[in-house]
Amino acid sequence: MWPCFFDHGSIMSERQIPMVIFMRRPANGSLLLTQHAGRAASGGRKNFPARLLAEQKGKSMNVIETEHLVKTYKRFKKKEGIRGSIQGLFHREYEEKNAVNSVSLQIGEGEFLGLIGPNGAGKTTLIKMLTGIIAPTSGRIEVLGFYPNDLRNEFKMQYAVVMGQKSQLFFELTANDTLRMFKEIYGIPEEEYQRRKKYFTELFQVEELMNMQVRTLSLGERMKMELIAALLHNPRILFLDEPTIGLDAVAARQIRGFLKEVNQERGTTILLTSHYMEDIKMLCGRSVVISHGNKIYDGNTEELFEKYQRNKVITATFEYDLGHVFEGGPGTALFCRDVTVLENTPYKKVWLVAKENANCVLQEIMGKGPADICVEEEEIGIIVERIYREGEAYA
Amino acid sequence: MRKYLEVAKTHMKAQLAWRCDVIFNMIFTVAKILFAYLLWGIIFKDKSDVSGFTFHGMLSYYIVSSFLSQLEMSDGISAEISARIRNGTFSNYMVLPVNIERYFMAMEAGVAAFYFAFDLAAALAWIFIFRIQFVFVQSAFVFFCALLMILLGMLFMVQLNYFLGILTLKYQEIGTFLMIKNNLIALVTGTIIPLALFPEAFVKGMRLLPFYYVTYLPSMLLTGRCGQEALPGLIVLLLWCLALQTVVANTWKKYRIKYDGVGI
Repeated sequence: MWPCFFDHGSIMSERQIPMVIFMRRPANGSLLLTQHAGRAASGGRKNFPARLLAEQKGKSMNVIETEHLVKTYKRFKKKEGIRGSIQGLFHREYEEKNAVNSVSLQIGEGEFLGLIGPNGAGKTTLIKMLTGIIAPTSGRIEVLGFYPNDLRNEFKMQYAVVMGQKSQLFFELTANDTLRMFKEIYGIPEEEYQRRKKYFTELFQVEELMNMQVRTLSLGERMKMELIAALLHNPRILFLDEPTIGLDAVAARQIRGFLKEVNQERGTTILLTSHYMEDIKMLCGRSVVISHGNKIYDGNTEELFEKYQRNKVITATFEYDLGHVFEGGPGTALFCRDVTVLENTPYKKVWLVAKENANCVLQEIMGKGPADICVEEEEIGIIVERIYREGEAYA
Repeated sequence: MRKYLEVAKTHMKAQLAWRCDVIFNMIFTVAKILFAYLLWGIIFKDKSDVSGFTFHGMLSYYIVSSFLSQLEMSDGISAEISARIRNGTFSNYMVLPVNIERYFMAMEAGVAAFYFAFDLAAALAWIFIFRIQFVFVQSAFVFFCALLMILLGMLFMVQLNYFLGILTLKYQEIGTFLMIKNNLIALVTGTIIPLALFPEAFVKGMRLLPFYYVTYLPSMLLTGRCGQEALPGLIVLLLWCLALQTVVANTWKKYRIKYDGVGI
């Protein structure tokens, strides 16, 4: 008999007890299915029969649902100086801060969702509530059919969380040692453990690092190990809080590729927070923008960037000195086209052009016979700044 | 159960990671025995008996009690839990499908197993080198009571330190609680004032507290003394463990919702 979870749908009973399908293989070899409410063993979805998996695939299911979720922190307001400190012994003033304010969210199985927002927006608080680390102040929250803050092991077996600035690894030991402990904690059978470890170490090309003390690994290598440790039990949801923080471009790109593969090949639902918009843009089909605890955007990532992408950057080089033709001042070409000159040398010009005017401006430039011309999107940092700034005004 | 065994093994492996630590720990154990040998050698130079102890009896008691004291390292649990709650990394344990208290028990067992192996080896070597005629309990019943008491004592201390650690969820700072605990232990075990100076009724009252049974009584039992206290001591300690477990469970249930995981 081996227990395993459905990939989609019908796991949870009304009382939010996970239903585990136990399959008994009788003498005649056919499968008998019986439902039991109870604890899920790991082994995970890899053991799941393809037929049942396919049947379930047809049904979409929200793995995360929140409704008017609120988290309010109470903070002690200490007055300045010794007098204020002494006063604080007898009388304390508190202020309340809504870190998350009435956030409603539905995330379907297999989605890759980006959670964007400036520092203090409430992203991490939201992740902490979704993983059960903290309890919400009010509102409804359901993750995989559980109330997360009950902290039931059956629930915790089904997700993983990686926080860029917090390690689950033992620094004195090797990654292999930590993985071995996780194998036992998640009850992964030996054969399955070896198979998954091989898959992930090959994917990340870290085979030769598995027996090195973790403290001797670079930040990028360590993050790869964190991800392997998190994915070893084949979680249904992976929460990632700043996984590429501090990583160089090469390591960050590798991590992104890895996450993409995990999402696409294994169907793992991934919720990612990152300040690096390259992460969000490249990975997340859907984005949620949070500002001051409020959800201000929830939709397609491309549309989000499209919405806030107001300008294009046009660079043109010429084989002759253009003089003042394109300087954008009164009486010159491109004037009245809402153009900002970013760089102006005799043979090279760079302009910032409103998106809707880009076509006309390009035509004017083409009329001057440029040697080379390049049209780029605005720097991603500028777009993000705009999203946050306008989000704040909205909030 | 297997997961906690692996947790214990992992923490034992972590102890073994540093060669210098291992070597100095052994040297420390050896030095303590050597120091005790020299000190008691001077005291017993002109006497054959001090408060009912012979020279070898006293050394036996010292070796056992210092060995047990070194095994009992649960102090770090409260400090670690407190620090992790305050800096937000306690969530590392909360997201794992384990019982956090049992995780810490397993961690303590792993660390204790490491010290048990090395300290025992060092102690046995010195018993052999100095030809200490080790005074050991004769009664099998008392011996098993002592072993059980050692295990229960360690369990109690883990429970207590875990309890004090999770009080951080409510009080943020538990330094005062730790100070009270340390002073109470020192008082009950006679470290501050010799127990003989207290009135009999007071000493009897202190025997209702669990600390007396953590290292002091097991050491006495293993060196063949206080045999009549073995069974009552075991019962008192067991009752304390059960009572404290209830308190721990209720405290965790009540206070864990106060955790805000600041800093993550």
